Amino acid sequence: MLQAQSRDNCTISGIVKSTEGELLVGASVYLVNSSKGVFSSESGRFTLGNLSAGSHTLRVTFLGFRTVEKKIELKAGENLRLDLALEPDAHQLEDVSVIGRSEVREANRQSFNVTAIDAARLHNSTLDLSHALDRVSGVRVRENGGLGSRINFSLNGFTGRQVKFFIDGIPMDNFGSSFQLNNIPINLAERVEVYKGVVPIWLGSDALGGAVNIVTANNQRSYLDASYSFGSFNTHRTTINSGITTKSGFTFQLNAFQNYSDNNYRVTVDVADINTGEYFRDQRVRRFHDNYHNETVIANVGVVGKKFADRLLVGVTLGQNRAEIQTGARMVSVFGQWYRKGNIVMPSLKYLKRDLFVKGLDVTVNANYNLGKEQNVDTVYRRYNWFQQYKQYVGLGSERERSLYRFGNNNGLITANVNYRINDKNTATINNVFNTFNRKGSDELFPQEEKYDLPKINTKNVLGIGYKYDPNEKWSASAFVKYFHQWNKYSQSYNPSGNWGDVAYMVQENTFNEVGYGVASSYYLFPNLQLKASFEKSYRLPETDELFGDLINLEGNIELDPETSYNYNLGFDHKGKFGSKHRYSFNGNVIYRDARGFIRARLNNNQTKQVMDNLADVTNFGLDGELRYSYGQLFTAGTNLTYQNLRNNTRYEEGYTIVSPLYRDRIPNMPFLFGNTDASFFFKNIANTKGTMLSVGYNLLYVHAYYLYWPSLGNDKLDIPRQLSHDANVVYTLKDGRYNISLECKNLLDSRLYDNFSLQKPGRAFYLKVRYFVSK
Amino acid sequence: MLKSPKLILFAALLASVGMSCSENKTKPEPEPEPQVKPRYVIASAPVGSQGVADYLLTTDDLTQGTISTIGQGIEQDGSYRYYLSHKGKFFSLLYGQGNPGAVTTYRLDDRGKLEKISDFQSETVQVFTVVNDEILTIKVPRSGNESASCFRINTENSQIVGEKQVNIVKLAGNGERAHFTWAKQVGNKVFAPYMSIKGCCSDVFGTAYPDSSWIAVFSYPDLTLEKVIKDNRTSYIGAYFNNGLAVDEKGDVYGFSPAGATNSGARTSTKPSAFVRIKKDATEFDKSYFFNVEEKSGGHHISNQTYIKDGKFLLYMYGNKNATTGARKLAIADVYNQTFTWVTGTPAEISSSSASYNNNTVSDDGKTVYIGLNTAEGSWVYSIDVAGAKATKGLKVEGGQITAIVRVK
Repeated sequence: MLQAQSRDNCTISGIVKSTEGELLVGASVYLVNSSKGVFSSESGRFTLGNLSAGSHTLRVTFLGFRTVEKKIELKAGENLRLDLALEPDAHQLEDVSVIGRSEVREANRQSFNVTAIDAARLHNSTLDLSHALDRVSGVRVRENGGLGSRINFSLNGFTGRQVKFFIDGIPMDNFGSSFQLNNIPINLAERVEVYKGVVPIWLGSDALGGAVNIVTANNQRSYLDASYSFGSFNTHRTTINSGITTKSGFTFQLNAFQNYSDNNYRVTVDVADINTGEYFRDQRVRRFHDNYHNETVIANVGVVGKKFADRLLVGVTLGQNRAEIQTGARMVSVFGQWYRKGNIVMPSLKYLKRDLFVKGLDVTVNANYNLGKEQNVDTVYRRYNWFQQYKQYVGLGSERERSLYRFGNNNGLITANVNYRINDKNTATINNVFNTFNRKGSDELFPQEEKYDLPKINTKNVLGIGYKYDPNEKWSASAFVKYFHQWNKYSQSYNPSGNWGDVAYMVQENTFNEVGYGVASSYYLFPNLQLKASFEKSYRLPETDELFGDLINLEGNIELDPETSYNYNLGFDHKGKFGSKHRYSFNGNVIYRDARGFIRARLNNNQTKQVMDNLADVTNFGLDGELRYSYGQLFTAGTNLTYQNLRNNTRYEEGYTIVSPLYRDRIPNMPFLFGNTDASFFFKNIANTKGTMLSVGYNLLYVHAYYLYWPSLGNDKLDIPRQLSHDANVVYTLKDGRYNISLECKNLLDSRLYDNFSLQKPGRAFYLKVRYFVSK
Repeated sequence: MLKSPKLILFAALLASVGMSCSENKTKPEPEPEPQVKPRYVIASAPVGSQGVADYLLTTDDLTQGTISTIGQGIEQDGSYRYYLSHKGKFFSLLYGQGNPGAVTTYRLDDRGKLEKISDFQSETVQVFTVVNDEILTIKVPRSGNESASCFRINTENSQIVGEKQVNIVKLAGNGERAHFTWAKQVGNKVFAPYMSIKGCCSDVFGTAYPDSSWIAVFSYPDLTLEKVIKDNRTSYIGAYFNNGLAVDEKGDVYGFSPAGATNSGARTSTKPSAFVRIKKDATEFDKSYFFNVEEKSGGHHISNQTYIKDGKFLLYMYGNKNATTGARKLAIADVYNQTFTWVTGTPAEISSSSASYNNNTVSDDGKTVYIGLNTAEGSWVYSIDVAGAKATKGLKVEGGQITAIVRVK
């Protein structure tokens, strides 16, 4: 290292660009096995001076792109000029067309059944993540109401916790209610990847039927993206995303967002007389107790491009939310005071180092701990009706279940991913996800309850080992094995002697160990036609609520086994063009899911509470496809459709020797045919002003009607009617996207829409959004 | 919404070809004759872990044939519903996890089919009973709220005509809560037996008072608490969501206790499962009367009851000795003579049975009573010959388990 330092005085300079020609700011450019290294400047330029003559290896790395290496020979005094082009890496995506939803790039050769949303394209819309996801084939997001309302995400028929969510590859399992799909604005994400059925090894964790990975904008550049929108139902939303990276490699990122809405949209409902219970039919009333707001800040500080770390960030997520609860499971149950609130206080650590010790060995470590709390506040002894009249009762009571119960899950998480590119053709990956959970809760109304509510602890570890083999440009194959481990410790009070007042605690412990595995492969039949096949035997470990209960209506069941599923996918992806302007893409997937031991609720022995049990077997044979067309830079349109044939595969119900009458019946209360159609026009250089653009877009959501209960039973039945929702938007941008103003109309025809039986969604609504974006 | 357009088309074709070839495996709901025979509503719920709703079928013959909820029956919203017939109407009540919901009122049309006539808003209730021309319901919070809410429902117009709050913590007076198990009209009063429960601490239904029986006596219609009758020879009367009281033709009140009080999950009652009595017009337990059913049955506890006639009860007994959970067996008891007879002819293993609290299927002569029994092989209605304590298999119900059989009268 002390060798001739400046005697030869060679330099290398140049520009770093992407293969698409975009200047890359903050790329790390350095000589291997030396201390020489710089970042590319705001104009993508770099200069390495004071170099010695001889042979060197120049390496350029930039997040989201493939690392480039060049062998160079320097003569004494030489000033070498070298421009470099980086190719987007394995998880990077390319636009299929001018605009709209992107598909996985051909070159990335991901063999998984994956759809990605190019979130950056939606940054001028007022969508939150859940609505953006709702436009992906195979995905259905069902809402209970307006902004911030409870949502139910389904992916190829898997719902709730069977689908895992990640943010930048970190599981979101226990972020609490303050940082969730229904409140994260689309502007936080750069893109969103939806993995259907088979989840790649680097995402780790235990997903039964797929995963959603939200990728935030973490380029090492300086930028500011600020937006504000307001609209119907007194809805206000603000998002600020900013980051700064200095030449010395110091980086600071700040994301902040806020949502506020009264959700006081009109609904048509039978209003009960507060005293007699008599219904006044089909009254048009406003929702009056549905205010929702949340405020969240995510701050990260650290360094990039250092010898010890390509990126090392220490951060914290702080947030809170408060949601008033307007109705129960049916709209005739109406509340006027009950609300819940929660917060998130989550310190985090992110570390990334490429080429650690040896070339091709990349290490990622993430850790976080959520200290947040959730609380349910129901202490007002009243009964409301939809006319906002109420009866006030004397004494201590509530609208539903008197509670000030406040709990924290004290959830810790460490993930580690080691990726080793042995050579161009072989890559090995090890991934480990470790979770801890220690629920503590109390209710100030019932302080004596606390001593019975002993700590509930569990730990979960998922270890995955994967191998990827790319023998040539056409073919790619990967295989992985996952090892699931869960340990639960649970204390239950019981009566040891049978004498009253005698309480003892029975400590129950149990452990699961399961092995899952999968393979995925893709092959380019033609340069523009990719075939994909994948399979996984997956597990979903029981969640803590299911194991320990929720102290309200759910009793714990420590005996629960993991859910398991055999997931099969077959798909194709075709892109093409005719003429110079017409481009199209077409993809389709066939999926089959054979899931066993679904965890479902049943009544406990004395029929007073629900308890979760491994009850149902379900199969799903599904088809989905998407067709997209674009004409130059002027027009794009696409449509997707999903059909899923979810069938009850439980042949014998527990306690029965006869075949269940519902064997092979369609699973009720689950959308089975749905799709989206969209179209957009883009007009550039409006009124001869350079850098301006006006776009006009339209989206149609279609969901076929479905039955609430088993289709084969009864002849006088309840159903969830067909949904047709028309949305339209106009976006005007100036200065190449620096200033943006957009107007959106949701549910243009003011249709009565339902995702869940009787729970009416908002009618026609308008939103205006202004956005300022600048990056250097 | 159509299940499948092709299927519908096929069905329509079949129908157009004629009835001759539409011979189904299960016979459709029998076409009713003009209202002469009693007409029954059978509620059946699918066995499964989701989408479990009741379906209502009607029939006038419980003794033979097959009836099915596959493609037939009126779907009821909500996983748990409860039924009651009064003044010629049929009421379907929701049990909705503490939430208010709709009660649907039906009557029989001239073909004997259920016809919805109205619905109205009601609370989720744990007690419902007939008093005079009205229905009395009681919402009994098991924790949190300190008051039970009583509602009087007019059966003519299906509206709530009166409401009363009862502080059940004060009523219990022992630091626990008085949880009404059921209510029964006795003369011009309402007797509401209750269990004392902790109502908290991960052991809501546990109690420190396992060896007492209580009945709260209310006036009607103003529902004023008049007194609490207490006894210490057995445990609480009835059970959660179960009727423990019956009034015989003489006006005497008989009540049973399962002797099933628990604390932290373990049974702590030390007294036997038995019948006690309150003589007509009295508001004290009759200390001279005690029918120790546990002893007579050889160690079995009573789970539920349906009163037949002349002091005879159909008892739903816990099948295993000393158990207060698990499978049931049937017995006929005579509370006058204190005799106990096991019913023969029932399936060896009964998974569950139709509800006892609304079983009003006793024949007018008191000789026969019907019950729906669910087994691993399927569900049947059994008719029980009271005198011979013998059960005979009758109507088969396909598609799910029988949750209730109610005669509309």
